[in-house]
This record gives sequence, structure tokens and C-alpha cells, in this order.
Amino acid sequence: MADLLSTSVSGLLAFQQALDVTSNNISNAQTPGYDVETANFQEEPGQTTGVGYIGSGVDISSITRAYDAYLAAQVNSTQASYSSSNTLATQAAQVDNMLSDSSTGLTATLQSFVNALQTAATTPTSTAARQALLSSGQALAQQIQTYSSQLSQGSTQLESQLSSDVNEVNSLSSNIATLNQQIAAASSNGATPNALLDQRDQLINQLSQYVSVQTASQGNNEVNVYIGSGQALVTGGSSQTLATITNAYDPSQLDIGVTSGSGSTADITSEVSGGALGGLLSARSQVLDPAINAIGQIAVGVATVVNQQQQSGMDLTGAPGQAMFSVGGVSVLPNSANAGSASLAVTRGNLSDLTTDNYELKYTGGTTPWQLTDATTGQSVTLSGSGTSTSPLTGAGLSIVVSGTPQAGDSFLVQPTAGAAAGFSMVLTSPSQVAAASLVQASAGSANTGTGTLSSAGVTDPSTWTSGTYTVAFSAGNAYTVTNSSGTTVANGSYTSGDPIDFNGIQLTLTGSPASGDTFTVSPNSTSNTGDNSNLYAMVNALSASALDNGTTSINAATNNIVSQIGTVTQQAQNNATTQQTANQNATTNLNNVSGVNLDQQAATMLQYQQAYQAMAEVIQVSGQLFNSLISAVSANGG
Amino acid sequence: MSLTSISTLTFQTNALDSIEALEKSLSTTQNELSTGVSLQDAADNPAAMVQVNQLNTALSASQQYSSNGNLVSTNLKLEEQALTNATNVLQSVQSLADEANNSSLTSAQRQDIGTQLSQQLQQLVSIANSTDGNGNYLFSGYATTTQPFAQNGDSVAYSGAEETSQVQIAPDQSVSTSDTGSSVFMNVAGGNGTFTTAAAAANTGTASIGPGTVTSPSEWQAASGTYTISFTSPTAYQVTDGAGTVVTQGTYDSTTGNTVSFNGIQVAISGDPATGDQFTVAPAGSSSAFATIQGLITTLNSTGLNSGQLATQISQSIEQLSSAVNNLNDVQASVGARINAVTTAQTTETSNQTTYQSQIANLSQTDYAAATTQLSSEEVALQAAEESYASLAKLSLFNYISG
Repeated sequence: MADLLSTSVSGLLAFQQALDVTSNNISNAQTPGYDVETANFQEEPGQTTGVGYIGSGVDISSITRAYDAYLAAQVNSTQASYSSSNTLATQAAQVDNMLSDSSTGLTATLQSFVNALQTAATTPTSTAARQALLSSGQALAQQIQTYSSQLSQGSTQLESQLSSDVNEVNSLSSNIATLNQQIAAASSNGATPNALLDQRDQLINQLSQYVSVQTASQGNNEVNVYIGSGQALVTGGSSQTLATITNAYDPSQLDIGVTSGSGSTADITSEVSGGALGGLLSARSQVLDPAINAIGQIAVGVATVVNQQQQSGMDLTGAPGQAMFSVGGVSVLPNSANAGSASLAVTRGNLSDLTTDNYELKYTGGTTPWQLTDATTGQSVTLSGSGTSTSPLTGAGLSIVVSGTPQAGDSFLVQPTAGAAAGFSMVLTSPSQVAAASLVQASAGSANTGTGTLSSAGVTDPSTWTSGTYTVAFSAGNAYTVTNSSGTTVANGSYTSGDPIDFNGIQLTLTGSPASGDTFTVSPNSTSNTGDNSNLYAMVNALSASALDNGTTSINAATNNIVSQIGTVTQQAQNNATTQQTANQNATTNLNNVSGVNLDQQAATMLQYQQAYQAMAEVIQVSGQLFNSLISAVSANGG
Repeated sequence: MSLTSISTLTFQTNALDSIEALEKSLSTTQNELSTGVSLQDAADNPAAMVQVNQLNTALSASQQYSSNGNLVSTNLKLEEQALTNATNVLQSVQSLADEANNSSLTSAQRQDIGTQLSQQLQQLVSIANSTDGNGNYLFSGYATTTQPFAQNGDSVAYSGAEETSQVQIAPDQSVSTSDTGSSVFMNVAGGNGTFTTAAAAANTGTASIGPGTVTSPSEWQAASGTYTISFTSPTAYQVTDGAGTVVTQGTYDSTTGNTVSFNGIQVAISGDPATGDQFTVAPAGSSSAFATIQGLITTLNSTGLNSGQLATQISQSIEQLSSAVNNLNDVQASVGARINAVTTAQTTETSNQTTYQSQIANLSQTDYAAATTQLSSEEVALQAAEESYASLAKLSLFNYISG
């Protein structure tokens, strides 16, 4: 009879424990990362009797959590992808939003400037129209500067976000390592510390929000965590510390490094992908850097075209026009590890050769001592010249003069347009400084007998123009000779109707056919020609010409290109974020279907265990009654 | 996993996730409806955003062309009016010249006409100095603030510029806003447009020479130069070129007059020439309308001319006046053509603007009908999701376990 009692007591204890497990499940129904636990019953080994083995009750052999490592890895990887896309989408949307506004965007402001040029051209004597042109240029400069400062603010925020995310990763990986230690200690007796495992797996999931991770199970329920292509972040009970390190070229840009045991830090930026960190790095390389470079190229384009045309014209005071816009120069960032004393003076050359890429200039000391590489595409760029002021290194639309002595291995990052927008501003202060008129005026000889008439005369290259009076005289067979005021021939040639005649930086266009003996005179323009608007129209035309990217892109097209480029990156990131969010929700649902708590199920289990417990109690009562029956039988016989 | 059980937490989060997603799309649709803009950022549709930007640029440029066109039109109409006024003055001058071309007039009568002509000349100068509403001179070319014509004694000088402002009225189409005073009034071809004729001052006879005509332009062009018609006797003449070589000669009949032909031109001589009288034929240079009138005034006021010289000079003046009127008509035709070009360009621009605006609307503005339908279907979906969640969340086995 003692067996009956101990068997039922084992059942009572077992079902009580099972109810405890169920109760714990119900308590944690809302706990994120909690995996439903199951009490596993095991039959107690039986005792041999004459009739065979009789079981001696039940025992809880183990309490296991429902966990699927494969599904959990899926949750983590979709979490990292979602977090990366979402971070990129958030960052990109800010820039997209800034560039997109079709009524106040850069294309609209540029067109307002062109319209102001047109209005000034229709009424070149109007001070109001000239003032409106200056204001419009001011607004253009303001907008480009605002773009530049917003992008630079975006960069600052991104770097600080990067830094705080790295701290978060360190804190999480350190906690994971600590939990690994505790898990190993708690597992040494063969039991499974489910709560600790849940906590650690939850931390790994949180880590996936910051960076894409892989895990590998070790003995004693420990897990190693890796990022990138196998860079260990957590190994058993110890973790590696990530650090933000200053970029060798650009001190304002942070790279990600890992600190080794010896204290040195290795750059692993290129290994980091996924998660918020991956998203931030993508935002930097796909959104912020291209945007500031593209806006810079537009600023350089506007300034170069407008300034050159200003200098080809005459302002109201009769002086050659001055530059209308100033623009930031080329940024040169020496590598912090440079050992030589060389420094670079880099200026922009031909506008159409200028790109929106950044370049790395490296000194090798070899036969071609300087090597230029496009940092964006990785392609090498042919350089000519030796780097002296008389023979500057030229390539990629840049002209580079080296001073000081470089050492082999020294390198520089050259950003042709990144700093241009920040320095873009309106220089002219007075409406009279607008060079509406041409630098020259032309007239036909009064005794001309041919049908040749003046179409236009202007300075196309102010650098080769010398002020003076030039006479274009035609002789038989459409031949012409250009002489200066002292009678020296400066150019001659054969005239084809409609083709321009170029000499000394001047371009003269005639129509019709001049007769032999006909003359045309080009002389410095007079201040009384206040109605001359030809230079403003030359400016309008120059602004609409395809001046950028080897003559394939107009300034207007360049503004649309960057809107489209950033818009596409944003759209893709948003689409990816939506897709990955759904994938993450599905993976989470799948995992939770395995490991989550279903309250109805737990209620049923609870009822089941409760009934079993009550049954066991009945058995004990039966055992008591049996005992009583035996006692009363014995006492009835004896009495 | 034959039977999957949905975790209670998942059930709740999934339900909330889908409600949130529905709320988000409702808010987007609502925003489209309230702002009237469906294309908010480039990310919504990068290609469409670029198109909208391009269309906005084109629209803005087109509106600028329209406004340029209005200004050019105004200017050209002012010029047209000034040219009409100038033509009227020249026509009055022409009728006065015709009146003066009468050998029966007395010297005093001619001087009266000369006085009237002086007034006409002043009026013409004043018209040539017309300004637009802003005080800019119409006929001074680039030098819009410089008075183009000044009368100084017997001569009128032009001090304007030789080029005029061009204004764009359409992409790749520019028109001149005015014409220079020199092309309108100064550079008028002299004589009959090809050559001029004159009687020598020392002529003693009364013969006069007409303005002449060109019979063979190519022949004249090849031999263009100054020729002298000299009378070796009252009945014989010879024509010599600049080198003194005799080109042709003939007999002259004073009762009928004679037509002298050589080198592709012919001139009519009438009246009684004296031996040694000379007439010259020279390639036409240019002369100004003012100089022509002034020349006529000087002729009419001069007393030392014989009837032949007088007739020659007056007929030259009449010929030059008609050249000046023709020149004005040519300029006026060109102004009219430019006004037409502006009108055509403006019609095109206006129609372009309508097209651009409707394309922008198609690409970026809310389709209210579609958006409203979408809004109500999203509302229904959200309501259904909320109601089903509320009723399902109440269900629990625990509700049925008691006591």
C-alpha cells in the first residue's frame, strides 16, 4: 500500500510542477522573446513483483522551451534587412523631400533666374529689372547654400547616429557574452536555463536591428555571434569591442573598426552590412555624398557659365563685367598617415570634364609617380603633366600643383565639387554691374555696296580679347582680312555666308554676301549703348547649353538627374523596407507559432493538469480508504 | 508541425500591424485629397517627378516668352505708328516737291515752299526722335537713352547705335525690338537707287537730266562708275568714263529731247544745252531723308540756278524722296512681319502652356474621383479590421473556466 501512496504523491508533485510551468507560460504570454515551455513527463521505473514490473509513478524529466533555431535565424536576418532598408529610406526621404518640391526646387529656382535674365534683356535699361536679376541670383545662391547646409547637417546627424549605434552594438554584444557565461555555468549540471537562453536570443534579435549577424552554437548552450564575413563579435563569454574611427582623409567622417586584444583597431567598415549601421553607411554612400557632389557640380556649372559670360560683357559703367557668383574650391584632404611634406593646390579646369566623383591621388615614387583613381568607380584616370606650376598634373577636369616633397605611399582625397555648394554666393552688389551689353560694337562701312549685313558681334573669349578697333575688309572671292587700328593684319580667311568670323577672342557674324571693298568695323562698345542686351542673351543661351559631363548634360538636366537619382534610391529603399517588414512579420509569426504562448492552449493544458492533480488526490484518498478498510478489518477480527 | 497554434501575442501584434498599415494608407489618401497633390516626393515616382520638373521649367520659360512677346509687340506697334507718321510727312514733302517742280513758279513762290519744307523737316526729325513710354528712344538702336538725331544748321546727324536689341519670343526665335535710325532715315539709297544724275554747276544752257533707269543691271554692274555726258555742241554729245575714254556719242535734238543709253542704263535729257555743258552719272551712294529735304530746300531757296539745273535738282530730289518713302515702307513691312511673328509665337506659346499645365495636372495632381473611392474602400477595410479584432480578442477559453 505504501507504493500506491508514493506513486500518487509523485503524480501530485509532477502535476503541481507541470501546473507551475503552465502558470509561468500564462504569466509570460505577453513577454517578447519568451519561448513556451513544456514539462516533459517521464514514467518512474517500476519495481519488480511476482507478477511483473509495476510502475512507481511519474516524474518531470525536463522542462524544455519550444525553439526553432532556423526560424529564429530567419527572424534575425529579415530584421537586419528591414532595419537597414528602413534606416536608408528614412535618411534618403529627408534628402528626397528637400530636393523634390517642384514649385520651389532647384529646377524652379534656376528657371526663375533664367527668366530674370530674360526680363532684364527685354528692358536692359531698367534698374528694377537688373535689381530683380540680382535678387533672383541671390535666391539661387541661397537655395544652393541651404541644400549644402541641410546635407551637411544630415551628414553630422548620420555620423552621430553611427557612433551611438556602435555603442549600442557594444552594449548588446557585451550583454550577450555575459549571458553566455551565465548559461555555461547554469548548464554545467545538465539542465537548460531556459530564461537565460530566451534573454540571450532576444538580445541577438535586438543586435540584428543594428547589424546583420550570424550565430553558431557551441557547447554548454553558448552561442558565438559573427558580423560581416566572419568577424567574431561574441566568442563564448567574451566580446569584441567595435569603435568608430576617424576616416584617414576626412576627419568629419567616421569609419567602423574593431579593437583587438593588443589594443590596435582594424577598419572593418566594408564588412559591415545590414541593420541600422548598414543602412547608415548606404545612406552616406548612396544619398548624402552623391547629393552634395551633384549640387556642387551644378553650383560650379552656374558660376562658371555666368561668370565667363559676365566677363565677356560690359556693365553699365562701361567696364568689363565681373564675376557674378563665387563658388567653393576643390577640397583636398591629405591622408593622416602621409609621411612627406607635400601639399596640393587643385583648381578646376574645363567645366565639361568635371565629374561628381571623388578622386584618390597617390604618390608611388615610381616611373609614373602620381596615380589618380576615381574613388567612386575605382577606375584609374590618366594624368598628364608633372605637378609643377608650369606643368600641373591634369586629369578628370582638375589641375593639380604639388608643393613640398611627397614620400612614396602618401595619398590625398580630392573632392572636385563637394565643397562648391557651400561657398556658392552672389558677389555683385549693384544693378549696374550686370554686364548686359557686349564688350564690342560693330558697324558696317557706309560705302558698302554688297548685301552683307551685321548679325551679331561679341567677345567669346575674354582672356584673348584685347580692346581696340578692328576692321574686317572684304576683297574679291569672299576673302577677308582683319586689321587692327595700326594697320597690322590680325587674321584673314575666306568667308562663307552665316559662318562666324573669329579673331582675337571676338566673334563677328554676318548674313548675306559682302561685296569686294566692303568693310565692317568692330570697336569697343560705348557706354551709351544702354539698350545692348546681347550679352544677357548669350548668358541665357550658355546656361541652356549642354555644358556638363563632356557636353552631354545641361545644368537643368543635372538638377533633374539628382532629383531622379535620390528619388529612385528612396523609392527602392522604401519598397525594400516594406517587403522586408512583411518578411520579418511572417518569420516572426512562424517562429511564434512554434514558440509563442497560446492562452487557449495553456487553459486547456491547465484544466488537463488540474484534473490529473485532482485524480491523484482521489487516488491518495482511495489509498487512505484502503488503509482504513484494512485497519477496521484487522480491528474487527481482533475485537 | 501538423497543427500550428497561433501565439496569443502574435495574434494581437499581427492584428495591430494590419490596422496600422490600413491607417497609414488612409492617411496618405487623405493627404492626397486635402492637398490636391498626388506626387509629393520624387520617391513616389522618380520618372514622373522629373517630367513634372521639366514641364514646370518649360511652362515657366513659355510664360516668360509670352511676356517677352507682349513687350516686343508694344515696342513694335509704337515703331509702326512712328513710321506711319514719318511716311505721312514724307508724302507731304513729296507733294510740295511736285508743286515746286514747275518752271513757271517765281523764285518767291519757290521760297514759300522751301519754308513749308523746313517745318516738315523739323517734324520728321521730331518723329525720328520718338520715345517709348519709358523715355527710351525708338530709333537709336542699342543707345536707347541717347537722342538719335540732332539738327545742326543745315545737317541732321545720327548719333545712335548701329545695332538693335533682340528679344527672344520663342526658343531659338528672336526678333529685333526696333530698327536703327540709320537704317530707317539715313541709309537711303541715293538717286534712283542705282545711280545718281547731276547737272554741272557751270552749265549755261537750260537742259536738264532725268533720274534715269537701269535697262541691264548686269551690264551696269560690270561697268559701274562715274560718267560724264558732255555737249560738244548744242546738238552733239559724248559720254566719257572716269579715264576720259569716250564710251558713246550721239546727236541731240533739243525739240524732242534725247535718251542717252550706255552700259546698261539710260537717262533722259531735255531742254537746250549749251556747248560745254556737262551732266554726270555716278553710282548711288546713300543719302538721308533729312539731307534730301534739306537739299530740296537749298535748291528752292537758291537764286543762281538756271532752269535746267533747277529741274535736274528737283527731279533728283523727287526721285530720292520716293526712295526714302520706299525705304520707310520696307521697314514698315518688316515691322509688320515681326508683329505677325510675335503673334504667331504667342499663339503657339499659349497653346503650349495649356498642354504643359494639363500634363502637370495628369502627373502630379489628385484624381479626386479615384482618391475618394479609394478613401471609402480603405475606411471600410479599417472598420472591418477593428471590429473583427475587438470581437475576436474577447474570445478566450479562460472565460469559460470558473469555480
